[in-house]
Amino acid sequence: MKITQTPSDTTLTLVLDGELDASSSVLLDTELSNPAVLKYQKVLIDCQRLNYISSAGLGVFISHLQRFQDANVKLVFFNMQEKVHNVFEILGLDSLMTIVPSETEAAAL
Amino acid sequence: MQQFLRRVKQIALPIAISSWLLLLFMMLMRTGGIPLQLSIPNWALLLTQGVFAAAVFMHRRYQPDPLRGTDFVGLLRRLLLGPGLLATICVGLHLVQRLTAAQPSNPVFFTIVYGLNLGLFIVFLAYTCYTWRALVLFRAPQLVHKQWLWFELILGATLLLRLLYIDIPAMLAGIILGGVAAFGVYLSTHQRWVAYLNRRQKFVVIMLQLALLLSLGIFCVYFLRIQFDPLLVAPEPQHAFLMLTVFFAAFYALMGMLVTLFNLPTAGVFEQKREEMLNMQRLTQEIQRGQTEAEIYQTLLDAAVQTLDADAAWLRIDGSPGYLGQLHNIEAEQAESVRALLDSYSITEIDYLNNDLGGSTGFQQLNLPFNSLLMMPLRSQKHLYGALFLFREPRQGFERENLSVLQTFVSQTMLSVENLQLTQAAIQNERYKEELKLASSVQDSLIPKTLPTDNWFEISSHAQAAREVGGDFYDFLHLPGRRLAILIGDVSGKGVTAAFHMAQMKGIFHALMQENPLAKDDKDRFPLPSKFMAMANRALVHCLEASSFITASLYIVDYENGGFVFARAGHCHTLYYHSLKEEVSYFRSTGLGLGIIRTDGYEKHIKNQFYDYNPGDVMVIYTDGIVEARDGNKEEYGEERLLAMLEKTYYLEADQIKQAILDDLNEFSYGQPIHDDQTLLVIKFKTSQPTSPA
Repeated sequence: MKITQTPSDTTLTLVLDGELDASSSVLLDTELSNPAVLKYQKVLIDCQRLNYISSAGLGVFISHLQRFQDANVKLVFFNMQEKVHNVFEILGLDSLMTIVPSETEAAAL
Repeated sequence: MQQFLRRVKQIALPIAISSWLLLLFMMLMRTGGIPLQLSIPNWALLLTQGVFAAAVFMHRRYQPDPLRGTDFVGLLRRLLLGPGLLATICVGLHLVQRLTAAQPSNPVFFTIVYGLNLGLFIVFLAYTCYTWRALVLFRAPQLVHKQWLWFELILGATLLLRLLYIDIPAMLAGIILGGVAAFGVYLSTHQRWVAYLNRRQKFVVIMLQLALLLSLGIFCVYFLRIQFDPLLVAPEPQHAFLMLTVFFAAFYALMGMLVTLFNLPTAGVFEQKREEMLNMQRLTQEIQRGQTEAEIYQTLLDAAVQTLDADAAWLRIDGSPGYLGQLHNIEAEQAESVRALLDSYSITEIDYLNNDLGGSTGFQQLNLPFNSLLMMPLRSQKHLYGALFLFREPRQGFERENLSVLQTFVSQTMLSVENLQLTQAAIQNERYKEELKLASSVQDSLIPKTLPTDNWFEISSHAQAAREVGGDFYDFLHLPGRRLAILIGDVSGKGVTAAFHMAQMKGIFHALMQENPLAKDDKDRFPLPSKFMAMANRALVHCLEASSFITASLYIVDYENGGFVFARAGHCHTLYYHSLKEEVSYFRSTGLGLGIIRTDGYEKHIKNQFYDYNPGDVMVIYTDGIVEARDGNKEEYGEERLLAMLEKTYYLEADQIKQAILDDLNEFSYGQPIHDDQTLLVIKFKTSQPTSPA
């Protein structure tokens, strides 16, 4: 798992590359726990290269969901692969989180 | 042969006594002490003498080994104070009497004393010879045992020499006697036992040997003097035999004494080596008995202090802050100051020997009452446990050789300490395993063993945890009115935490699916699945950690009316075969997992779905461990394969359908480890055979 940060004035983009399993989700949790993240208006998650997400990976997003909402930071996923999207959908997370097809749409939100 | 020897053993003593009495009797007859006019020939006297000597030696020969363990001093003392003293006193008194008395004594009395002395001397020689046998053969190889036997046989043969009146030229006799004597000299070199004496015992042994030589000397003087006495009526005793035995007895004693004497200067070194050996042995035993590291270290300290005769010692043990280790005759501050000084010289991990502390300025300032220091780190291959410091007051107190002894001690100790740690770790590990096994069996008891049966449906189940305890669960509950509640779920994460949440979920299921006695409507007596999920979500919020969640599906099958209602809380989609449409599909309902929304608003995210089933319909309920099982190419089994399997098997019995799916799944993921718990339930609705409810 590789996580790349691309910050701009109001937006932080995290590019996830690889499999988000129990061990790599610790990395993601560290990134998202950083208080600096909450200064942005939007946090975009690029899921194009995210091949797999385990329940531990989902747990990381779930645990930060409330915190982001309270801080008025939008969490947006884009470029999500079909099978990863399916996992979000089955768990019902698509109704809680913003998942859009492309970066342009994510930026337009 | 054996029997003959046993006979000899039994009759040796009576023969000895009777032959001695006969000998005395014959000698008295010769002197005229007994008024019986019979001329006694010399050969008869000699024969009786020879029989007597042979019987005494035989008797001694078959006595049990006089040596008890390694009590050599006791052995010699018993020999000297027993027969030795008795014989010597008799002979000595006689000598004194003869030296002081001017007139020759009464021939009868003289003969009796001579007879007595001869008997005692032979008994004494027999005792001495067989005591020497015990010493010669002490831990000796088999060869020496054989040599000793030959020596005995040859000595026995010399007895016969005189008896048979074999006339041999003096030269040949000299050669024979010299040869046997040389044999005795050779046997006298077997003084192995001397090495087992300590310094004090060696002194005692030298004294005892001296005394023994003295008493042998007294005998010799007596017999030499008496040889030419006109009163002597008996022929000369068995000279060859007696000379050889006396020679051997004396030479062995002399040799032993000299060996002991020359061993005296090295006794100290010997003793030190012995002490080291004993300490090593003790250390090994004690260490094995040591239950704790502290006990093992204490043993090391004691052994080191004792072996190296140290005046003070410090066993520094690192690891626990504030704990210095074990101190012996030294103040903590002194010990610490020595360590600080050595640290400043960066001497921490090497052996250090300083025999002149007064000569180095650093130590001078410490003002220690010691002049020699030996420091050795306690080190295993990968870890430094501390160090051992030994102090002695004199300069040049330790030698280089001490280092190797100490090294052996230390490495033995470190081995034991590490063994102990390994054992403790293994026990701890075993305990964890045992507890996990317990958790596993507890969890196993939470999974229903008997599946509900009814003629309206059949159920088949399969559950496989990826580890000892898992996070998957399912349960059934019969509700009144021919209804059955089926719950399946999956707790995120694996292992013990997941197992705890699973148990909680089971508790929530049983608590919430209770009949509400206040309900007006029959429909409201039990919560609908969506209501159940909302209540479960609320209950779980308090106990699930933020990153954990639970997915679940609850089905309430009403087989009275042939329908079911279910709600899916983020759980895998239900696979279904519709017999009327002859079609397999997933119920694609929406629903959010439990524990994700922690505020009130969960109800909005969960829906009930109603369905009227038909006989022949098949419902496949599972957890993500099934669809996410992977093959060697990391491809997932997936919903499509599962669906295809049901299309192929829907007409079979529930059990067979389950088995077919599992077989296909195992073939797919062959050789791959199970990385998530797998649960599979197959429910087949059968042709209704209505029986009116009770």
